[in-house]
Amino acid sequence: MSSTFNGLEVARRALTTQQSALYTTGHNIANANTEGYTRQRVNFEQTGPYPPASRNRPEIPGQVGSGVQAGSIERVRDQFLDKQYRSENAKLGYYDSKASAMEQMQSIMNEPTEQGLSKTMDRFWQSLQDLATNKDEGSRAVAVQRGTAVAETFNYVSDSLNSERSNLQEEMNVTKKEINSLVRQINNLNKQIGDIEPHGLVPNDLYDERDRCIDKLSGLVNINVSYESSGGQPSAIAQGKATITLADGQGKDTDTTLIDASSGEYKHMEIGLDDEQNVEQFNFTTIDKDGNETSTDSIAAADFSSQGKMKALMESNGYIDGGEAVGEYPDMLEELNFLARNLAAALNEVHSQGIDANGDPGQEFFVIDDTDNAAASITVSEAIKEDSDLIAVSANGDSGNGENALAMAEAMRKKGVGDLGQNSSIQTYYEGIIGEMAVVAQEAERMQGNATVLRDQVDENRQSVSAVSLDEEMTNMIKFQHAYNAAARNMTTVDEMLDRIINNMGLVGR
Amino acid sequence: MRVTQGMLSNNMLRNLSNSYDSLGKYMDQLSTGKKINRPSDDPVVAMKGMNYRTQVTEIEQYQRNTSEVHNWMDNSDSALDQATQALQRLRELAVQGSNGTYEDGQRENIAQEVDQLRDHLADIANTKVNGKYIFNGTKTDTPPVVDGEVQEGGGDVVVEVASGTKLKANIDAGEVFSSDLFDDIQAFSDALRSDIPDEELDANIASLDNHIDNVVNERADLGARMNRLDLIEDRLSSQEVTANKMMSDNEDIDLEKVIMKLTTQESVHRAALSAGSRIIQPTLTDFLR
Repeated sequence: MSSTFNGLEVARRALTTQQSALYTTGHNIANANTEGYTRQRVNFEQTGPYPPASRNRPEIPGQVGSGVQAGSIERVRDQFLDKQYRSENAKLGYYDSKASAMEQMQSIMNEPTEQGLSKTMDRFWQSLQDLATNKDEGSRAVAVQRGTAVAETFNYVSDSLNSERSNLQEEMNVTKKEINSLVRQINNLNKQIGDIEPHGLVPNDLYDERDRCIDKLSGLVNINVSYESSGGQPSAIAQGKATITLADGQGKDTDTTLIDASSGEYKHMEIGLDDEQNVEQFNFTTIDKDGNETSTDSIAAADFSSQGKMKALMESNGYIDGGEAVGEYPDMLEELNFLARNLAAALNEVHSQGIDANGDPGQEFFVIDDTDNAAASITVSEAIKEDSDLIAVSANGDSGNGENALAMAEAMRKKGVGDLGQNSSIQTYYEGIIGEMAVVAQEAERMQGNATVLRDQVDENRQSVSAVSLDEEMTNMIKFQHAYNAAARNMTTVDEMLDRIINNMGLVGR
Repeated sequence: MRVTQGMLSNNMLRNLSNSYDSLGKYMDQLSTGKKINRPSDDPVVAMKGMNYRTQVTEIEQYQRNTSEVHNWMDNSDSALDQATQALQRLRELAVQGSNGTYEDGQRENIAQEVDQLRDHLADIANTKVNGKYIFNGTKTDTPPVVDGEVQEGGGDVVVEVASGTKLKANIDAGEVFSSDLFDDIQAFSDALRSDIPDEELDANIASLDNHIDNVVNERADLGARMNRLDLIEDRLSSQEVTANKMMSDNEDIDLEKVIMKLTTQESVHRAALSAGSRIIQPTLTDFLR
């Protein structure tokens, strides 16, 4: 025989369990718009039936159910989708940052427009042609000014590229701080989770917070996440503490473990720049669970394969690979230096073969103070700027001879000038530089678009699993409310039943 | 697939933002008139655009150069025309002088006119255009004839009139305004003043004919070059049209097409907004009491 008050107990259990489900529904609704919130579900469990299997069990037919309990409260989340999301997010972070760096570069180069270097060189060519037909003061002054404009455009573009590079370094610094802060936050969350889980509790909201941080981190560097148990008596659905390692281009683990769940150690990132502000290496300092720095590992920039915002910034800004600086900005600067050197050399050579208005052979037309930074330091010779008579227009000293100016104009159009290669003139070489930049930028933009679509797709799948649906919550609310009401009715019935026995029994004939 | 309100509103927001992106792109195209705003929009168009721009600039420059050559040639031609007239007059005088009908005083008058014509020819040889002596080759800053003495001239004045095509702009002054010319005229004038018989003045007619021939030959050569220049000019102006058209085809928008696209996108945008307003609003809450 079961207890007299068994019915009341069953109803009470139903009331509290439905109530907890209603509260969880309320929590879901409240967080319907919270970023990174995962909807929660109360796992209903039947409580043990009566009688339990035992030697002295009462002889009653079957087992009578004893009601319900809230077994656990679980996050509805698919870890596989998280993994997909993070790997796509890393790609998006990479291409986002690359596309924006390339966009900056494109607006600095400012081609094709009426203001770009190409047009400036065209104008200089024009002034040389004018000079060849008219050798008067005016034409000479114009040629000096146009030549100065070419030099200044080189200077301006080079300076702008360099200042954009320092912006990129600033951004790398901020990104580094963000990575370090996220790693520290995740490590702290690991610690809190590790304190709670052994007691059999499931800290859903801390999991959400940790996933939010990991999602953010995944946009900056590509990472792999694995979990290990906190020990003690964890619930079966407890997630454990997260170990985070840097992932390489193929998504495989590298040797760098940002957060080690078992030892409680985490790593801080530092960027090692060389004198030219190129990234030489990344230093990872291990900090043990007491907050002491223990050791530092370095990854050479060329070996840093974790795709993400950091890598894109590093590649745009420039890094050392095999002793040489590579990357979009250093490459572009190097190309411009190369072009400026060859332009100056080609024109100076022709210029030196001519005769100026004073009957002397031509001096240097373009002067480059610093050959390594030719684009930044190219100028028209001071002497020529002060006295335009020093332009060697004539080939033989005759005032009406403009053949040398013509030869200078030709040098700007001729193929195979200097080191430019057999098939390139100064003009076409520059076109090539711009074309190459445009293709890289287009590729970055295209990949940015693709990565956005893919990440959004995965995010939608993830939302589909984890996001709060108000309709669903309303339905659940009604379901739980009805169950609660029914349980209360059940309790009333049991109460009336007991009332009958206690207060109205044995009164026959009174 | 389970779809939630959040997903719907996120999707709607994303689609609206894409739609705005397209609208923005078409607006940019319409307001700039260009297909591309950055090289990455279309690297090929961008590179070609730079190339075409250079071509257009070059053609404009060559057109400017041809007008300079015209200037040289026209001035040379009219100067040579005057020189011819002067030489014709000299020849007339030589014919008159050799007739034997003049008295000594009249021969002196002819000699004076011959001297004047000689100076006149020297002036023509020293013609200056835009401050440049056009009959002295590349030595444009020195006069070819100083005190009746012919100086040594410079080389050809060449101007680039098309890519790689250089045209000579001046004439060979040495052939026309040679020291022979001035010497012969001087000899004619001296002969007039001397007492040689009229009949012997005949010799001057032949030498003057010779000089007239030289001028005519030089003008013929100049005329041929002027023809060539005209042809080059024609070619340049048709090239200008072609280059501008290619540049325009390459980078300018097709206005009707973009306006059509903009209108279509606008309709899509309106539809997206109105669909959004219907879908985002209602939830079960609106229907439960």
